[in-house]
Amino acid sequence: MNDKKFWFTFGGILIAFIIYWLLGHPHFIVERVAMFYAILLSAATLIYFINKAKRGEEIYLRTIPGLKAFEEAVGRSTEMGKPVLYVPGIQDMDQVETVAGVIILGHVAKMTAQYETPLNVPVARSIVMKAARESVREAYIMQGRPDLFHEDMVHYLTDDQFAYAAGVNGIMMREKPAAVFYQGKFYAESLILAETGNSIGAIQIAGTASPAQIPFFVTACDYTLIGEEFFAASAYLSKDPQLLGGVKGSDILKVMMIGVIILSIVLRLFNDLGWINFDILKYLTIQ
Amino acid sequence: MFWKRQIPIAIVALVGTLTLFGWFVDQPDIKSFVDDDATQWYDILASFAIFLGALNLLKLQFQKIIKRKRNWQYSIFAIGGFFFAFTVGFLMRGAYTVNINSAGDNPNAVAQIVAGEIGGSIEASEVLLGLIEEEAPLMLEKVHFTGKSVNEAANQLIESGADAEVIPASWGAHLTKKDSLFNWMFFKIFTPLSATMFALLAFLVASAAYRAFRIRNFEATLLLVSGIIIMLGRVPIGSKISSWFVLYIFVLLSGIVVNSWKNNRILTFSTVGLGVILVTIAGFYMGWPIDKPAFAYLPSLQEWIYLVPNIAGARAIMIGIGLGVFATSIRYILGIEKSYIGE
Repeated sequence: MNDKKFWFTFGGILIAFIIYWLLGHPHFIVERVAMFYAILLSAATLIYFINKAKRGEEIYLRTIPGLKAFEEAVGRSTEMGKPVLYVPGIQDMDQVETVAGVIILGHVAKMTAQYETPLNVPVARSIVMKAARESVREAYIMQGRPDLFHEDMVHYLTDDQFAYAAGVNGIMMREKPAAVFYQGKFYAESLILAETGNSIGAIQIAGTASPAQIPFFVTACDYTLIGEEFFAASAYLSKDPQLLGGVKGSDILKVMMIGVIILSIVLRLFNDLGWINFDILKYLTIQ
Repeated sequence: MFWKRQIPIAIVALVGTLTLFGWFVDQPDIKSFVDDDATQWYDILASFAIFLGALNLLKLQFQKIIKRKRNWQYSIFAIGGFFFAFTVGFLMRGAYTVNINSAGDNPNAVAQIVAGEIGGSIEASEVLLGLIEEEAPLMLEKVHFTGKSVNEAANQLIESGADAEVIPASWGAHLTKKDSLFNWMFFKIFTPLSATMFALLAFLVASAAYRAFRIRNFEATLLLVSGIIIMLGRVPIGSKISSWFVLYIFVLLSGIVVNSWKNNRILTFSTVGLGVILVTIAGFYMGWPIDKPAFAYLPSLQEWIYLVPNIAGARAIMIGIGLGVFATSIRYILGIEKSYIGE
């Protein structure tokens, strides 16, 4: 309770919502109120832990081998004198996975700038090209190596899924990068890319939130960031306390989620047995 | 700095909040902004951005050729392909047809030419010519790529006495018209090339599966056994394998487990022997039905693996992904995550 500003703001929003509710809650879709509370609670949990981290409280996060391997992979490329290939997926910036992929690219670019290792980023969307280019440029400037940055590090190939896969495979076969990163949204091309990378002996680190592609990456890559690990990568790599607080917050949310699942099973069981007249599924189902 | 830092963060915060809370509000303007306007704005921006991508592609490929970089020959194909697609998409119609308004005085000669054009018999062409009426000309199905080619065909018909005219496909429709040049390029070059890449998956899945299924540890063994059960359970032969046969296999496998665990011959023999006796007694008692007990019948077993452990694992990952997406979105909306603007 030592974060007075947080509790004051949270209480204020809650009271404002209660007043709005009592006034007849115009335009509010009542069936979605449970989801609304869930979002408020989740956002509040995240903000609480972010504030906690901001105040300097220590945040423990478990080690993720895939994230520790980022530096190792770039280091290996440097030792071998080979480039690093970074594939930010095949979707546009309207996908949160692509945004996460571009953010991680910034961290990888910092490493390549530091080690003076060539970086090659083929992209499948023009807007991603612009965003990724800015991210890489900033990373090189922050590392004090703007001289090593050139715009063509991030280059456009094609919008088409398999043409892009063919293009990236061609780059892999010709340039033989020592480290390949797949961080973003992938579809059927994931295995084509990862197996080609495997065949050239590159160390491969994948990260995606596409559930159907995770098995392919796990099979063909050395490390895979699965789902939430992928979104937490930016926090881990930047070591920014605010971002780390957010990761801790989402871990707490997961615990709360498990609690809700167990409670819902019990309540549903009681309802089925006729002991209570309350159907939890009505509230939990998205309307 | 203000334009490159504060303004983008403010836009992300505003649009993000509107999109998030727009889901809970039944207000037509907000709903239309979230569902239509915002996505249309994005599409418009993306359409303009494609020029940047195309120019970047051309620049790099030209540089490769001019500087004679390694493997520069491939760039010729890239540039050639680009300009060919651009030309047939924007500059050439590539789709012309011939309409016959009347067969004239010599329908037999016209029918011969029509048969050559559409590839049918002369008799069939005569029947088609007989169907021509005023306001309902005969449109020959053959699509010509160039004006020269279609004019030659039309002139032949006119010389044989028919009243024929050239009909070019309208702009826009030339992309989708069957057998047009663009259509030909799409279905005869692009689609087979894409299909070839996609087909590679069949071989890559095999090599990936080989690596995944190699028995190295408990998890890999579990994966191998589950994979075999799922594969066998989903093909017709799987339903022909008696559950009793599978039970005997289970008994033998349990023998392997016991032997690896205790390394004791008597114990292993007792486990296998007891298992075989129990399964045989149960088989005689139940009358050896092929699909009973259901837990050992491959189609039922694969369905259970697919619907219970598989879905449970997938849902756990999905919940994690959902929370990750939510946490990331909140970080953007609140301006905590600023890496996307380079901070």
